Amino acid sequence: MSTTTRRIVAGVSGLAATSFLASCAKDAPQDTWQPKGSNAKIIDDLQQPVFAIAGVVGVIVFCVVVYCIIKFRDRGQAMPEQTHGKPALEIGMTILPALILAGVGVFTFRTVFDLSKTSDTQMVVNVTGQQWWWEYDYPAQPELGITAPIITSGQMVIPVGTKVLLRETSRDVIHSYWIPALNGKRDAVPGRVHTLRLDADKPGIYAGQCTEFCGLSHANMRMETVALSKEDFAAWVANQLADAKSPAENTLAKEGEAVFLNQCVRCHQVNGLKKADGSPAIAAPDENVWSGAAPNLTHLMSRNTFAGASWDLLNKKCRANVWGASSETVGKKYLAGVSEECLNQTDLRRWLRNAPAMKPMYADPTQLSSTNGKYRGMPNLGLSEDDIDKLVAYLSTLK
Amino acid sequence: MFTPGSKFFLGLTGFSLAVCVLYIALVDNATGGAVALLSIATASGVVAGLSLFNRDGEVAVGDTAAPASAEQLTASMWPLIATVGFVGVVAGLITHPIVFFLGLIALLAAGTEWLVQSWSEGASSDKVYNASLRGRMLHPLEFPILATVGLGVIIISFSRVMLAVSKDAGAIIFIVVGSAVLFAGAIFALKPSLKKTLVVGICVASAVGVAASGIAAASNGLRDDLVKAKKEHHFSHKECGEEESEHFDHLAEGTISMRSNPIATIELRDGKLTARELGVDKVTQTITFPRSNDATIIFRNKDEREARLTAYLGTKAVQDGVVEEVLNCTQMIGIDHEQALTFKIAKPSMASEKPYTLTVPGLEGQSIEIMVP
Repeated sequence: MSTTTRRIVAGVSGLAATSFLASCAKDAPQDTWQPKGSNAKIIDDLQQPVFAIAGVVGVIVFCVVVYCIIKFRDRGQAMPEQTHGKPALEIGMTILPALILAGVGVFTFRTVFDLSKTSDTQMVVNVTGQQWWWEYDYPAQPELGITAPIITSGQMVIPVGTKVLLRETSRDVIHSYWIPALNGKRDAVPGRVHTLRLDADKPGIYAGQCTEFCGLSHANMRMETVALSKEDFAAWVANQLADAKSPAENTLAKEGEAVFLNQCVRCHQVNGLKKADGSPAIAAPDENVWSGAAPNLTHLMSRNTFAGASWDLLNKKCRANVWGASSETVGKKYLAGVSEECLNQTDLRRWLRNAPAMKPMYADPTQLSSTNGKYRGMPNLGLSEDDIDKLVAYLSTLK
Repeated sequence: MFTPGSKFFLGLTGFSLAVCVLYIALVDNATGGAVALLSIATASGVVAGLSLFNRDGEVAVGDTAAPASAEQLTASMWPLIATVGFVGVVAGLITHPIVFFLGLIALLAAGTEWLVQSWSEGASSDKVYNASLRGRMLHPLEFPILATVGLGVIIISFSRVMLAVSKDAGAIIFIVVGSAVLFAGAIFALKPSLKKTLVVGICVASAVGVAASGIAAASNGLRDDLVKAKKEHHFSHKECGEEESEHFDHLAEGTISMRSNPIATIELRDGKLTARELGVDKVTQTITFPRSNDATIIFRNKDEREARLTAYLGTKAVQDGVVEEVLNCTQMIGIDHEQALTFKIAKPSMASEKPYTLTVPGLEGQSIEIMVP
């Protein structure tokens, strides 16, 4: 074997080995080959054989091409005898791929119809995408203990073993919802409602990512689905149905509430928050934000992430404790929320200090003419360090 | 030294620069126009340079006299059309934009045709070769454009006729014209020996007939019910008060996109109002929408009388201290008919003193509550 050939073989082998090893990553929460719910299993049951068939066909084609390149390369030999067509071979080469594709097509159609079934829905969640976060609202479903609508964002919580129907839409541009471990992806389109089913076999936290390019911070539009046991889910629902409690007088958190009322309530709703005159403080994101919505923060510290699930509210140690928990213990650990000692103060303070510096957004107040003065994303509010201290103290109370 | 082509483009360059200077001097905020004129000057300057460099496409020009045997150049209609176009452009500036654009199109078309024709006629002393050269340059542009314009004229003319006559007459005309086209096509296909001039004559006469009918129909105007429907905004008009509209485009509501999209279907049957949400196989009296998002519902009337659905969407301040209810309604829906209703609620339910509801006026005790978290 010549030196050149050896180098080519070594290069190709190295590339193949790297690709192979890359597919064996241990910490790959968005791995499409590890289904954790019945819908994802339906897809997996289709993609495994299709991938195998495609792989075999691909290898055969590749080998034939390589064989032809080497065997029939130009060595200055005479032109071989030219023949026009080989009907038997041509018919065979047409029929065989057609049969393979027809076979794949039958099973693909069956899978598509299986995935679109909604008649056995046990729970409904409205999922609304906007630049660059996901909102989840749960309609009242008394049979599940949801006696009044619940609203949250970033992390969607579902009970295990329950067929959940997502009704997806968007407030601005097209987004796409994808939790690879639980199902395929589905576009969220403004003005339309698309359905997607999810269910999880075991308690756990399943990560996802917006898969339709949706603007500047598309890469920072993440989402997580948290599957809890039915008992844990009931506890989560009970907590979400409650209004936020006002902090005790003469505390830093109470001062933070005043800052929140002065600055944040223009866009962010906290259910139960009252103005100085005792009337409910109603956020008006429709007047300030291009999409018309901002995350409801009533139970901010009951979720583990913020800013479109792109940053953790838990510090590294506590996050590892929750995400690394077994399916038996993850529910309890998740429901514990974000305690004072677990709060990732660094990122939260950075966010409050200058949000657009962390997450690129069209939030420059001097460049809002195309959106009639409305922000896309959270602007830099110019808060003082004193205000940030107070706000962090207040937000920490929103369990 | 200068070839005819380069003279033309150099002249255009100089003229553009002169106009640009005048434009900047006379017009305020002249950036856009000046950039356009400078672009023309630059482009024509480059073309002039190319023209000089290749001596107008390697054709013997300038100081080389045409051979005595050379055939006379063909008469050209393009200068005349260019003049008409120029007049149209100038007239359009003070009359109507459409005149300006038609003049501009004529001017550009005449300029292009004239330029290529002049160039091709000087390509060689062989008239046939020159004509084929012109064809190679212009036919790929001429044929698609003329076909598009011709088809456009026929389609627009025919549509004017259909909009002017009654629905019954429209159906008859459609059948007659369709049959005539089919019959003529069959004859042309079965009799390939027909004279080409006869076929062309029939086609041209038919096209002229359709165009003339279209012009006559357009000048006559739309039929009465379409005029009335247009005044009523029949695609979107929905009333909450006394029914005044006579026309509504029910087919627009029946499109697949609209019907595949509703978040809920509201049904009136036996005096009872019920809702069925998307993806949930049971009836309910409460539906939930995300705030600040367009939501579409379908109202289906299965009752024994006409009915309309009224959505109460809270209140809004119209003046200082004056608020009024925000209502959105379907039209009066006949028995076994349905209509879509799209609305957006910006504030959550907790912001409204009264719950957001869907009701049917005159039907007591029946309502669907809209929850907005």
